[in-house]
Amino acid sequence: MNKFVRGFGKVSGLVLLFSLTGCGSYNRLVTLEQNVNKKWADVQSVYQRRADLIPNLVSTVSGAANFEKSTLTEVTNARASVGQVKLDPSKAPTDAAELEKFQQAQGQLSTALSRLLVVSENYPQLRATDAFKGLQVQLEGTENRISVERNNFNTAVQEYNTALATFPTNMLNKMFGFQPRPFFNAAPGAEKAPEVKFDFNKPTPATSPATTP
Amino acid sequence: MAGVALALLFAPSPAARAAETIPPKPAGYFNDYAGVVSKEAALRFNEKLAQFERETSNQVLVAVFRKMESDSSIDDYTRRVAQAWAVGQKDRRNGAVLFVFVDDRKMFIQVGYGLEGALTDLTAYDITERHIKPRFRANDYEGGLTTGIDLICKAILGEYTGSGKTKTEEGGTPANGRGLLTFIIFLVILLVAVRLVRRVTGYGYSSAGGRPFFGGWMVGSGGGWSSSSSSGGGGGFSGFSGGGGSFGGGGAGSSW
Repeated sequence: MNKFVRGFGKVSGLVLLFSLTGCGSYNRLVTLEQNVNKKWADVQSVYQRRADLIPNLVSTVSGAANFEKSTLTEVTNARASVGQVKLDPSKAPTDAAELEKFQQAQGQLSTALSRLLVVSENYPQLRATDAFKGLQVQLEGTENRISVERNNFNTAVQEYNTALATFPTNMLNKMFGFQPRPFFNAAPGAEKAPEVKFDFNKPTPATSPATTP
Repeated sequence: MAGVALALLFAPSPAARAAETIPPKPAGYFNDYAGVVSKEAALRFNEKLAQFERETSNQVLVAVFRKMESDSSIDDYTRRVAQAWAVGQKDRRNGAVLFVFVDDRKMFIQVGYGLEGALTDLTAYDITERHIKPRFRANDYEGGLTTGIDLICKAILGEYTGSGKTKTEEGGTPANGRGLLTFIIFLVILLVAVRLVRRVTGYGYSSAGGRPFFGGWMVGSGGGWSSSSSSGGGGGFSGFSGGGGSFGGGGAGSSW
């Protein structure tokens, strides 16, 4: 009797211990996954913020006397193609190709925008207006936010993916269908925030790779 | 191992960060490391900003440096500095820092997430470009900083209400108190355990070996505690401690 009780105690203790750690890891994974989704939503909202600035920018710029048409249409087109790549804003993509497409569209818009700002250098009258300066400041701030939120997203994904790949959580991903998430990659250069940046007070802007035709 | 490799891989622009230093958390709200304003003015600014936190819970800091210790852009670098200093309350994320680099003739207002609505990029730009810059150009640092601080505070006034205390004044004790509490609980458990062991096994530790050592350890750590809790606070100068705020790239700056 005594032996049985003791043995039962041991077994149930082990089961309890295992299930507790299992629950802990499961909860941790869910938390991390939610964090990834939240960071993804942040990324989406800063990109949306940039997209929202564009109609205003375009109308301000096109008001300037004989502003170069091609750069303007490029921005408008890029803005349109960004709108076509619709990803669920509340759930981070699981498909790397999907994210790649999104990134490409946004990268095109970044390039078009930086080109527009560089071309605007040739229109000192336009640049002197309050409306244009204001848009520049906002655009610059938005680019800063984009790079911050992308970074935060990557950090969150990294944390989640690492948890998914290591013991004991890795035993859960098959059971509950957790999937690793793709990252933003910074390499292509088209999406680097500093490209759109320039100094209001310097006569020559910082040259960016996008400007050389 | 893989985590470390990944962390290195995704650390943003490691090349740009290689040659930079993030300055340690400042002691006060107004920090003139470049020595451009008088002592009285510095104290006045500091007290004003401390009072501002008491009333509104917003943490507004000013940091004046000689040079930017980074190859990165000013917005990127100062954001990371402000984040490292954890300016703003954790839940409200209501911090803002005006960074000035005298030799570089550059400044930037970093705005925490929670204040982005009140202190927009445009407002920040307006403050630096139209109000601070002309005075800095005329070498009037005190005047520029006076208006700058005034305008920043004005812009974010009414966003939140404060508790009447700064983080330093209300903080510090909870953490210490918690430490003391766990220590006491630990002691009680230990004493009970010792009692139990004695009762069950029928013999205690030899009093010659166990007791004095135990007592000595208690006295030693007790002394450490009291000395650490007595420091902190201090009259005259209002110290700053970050509340855990975070920054997402909001704000703007100018160069002069």
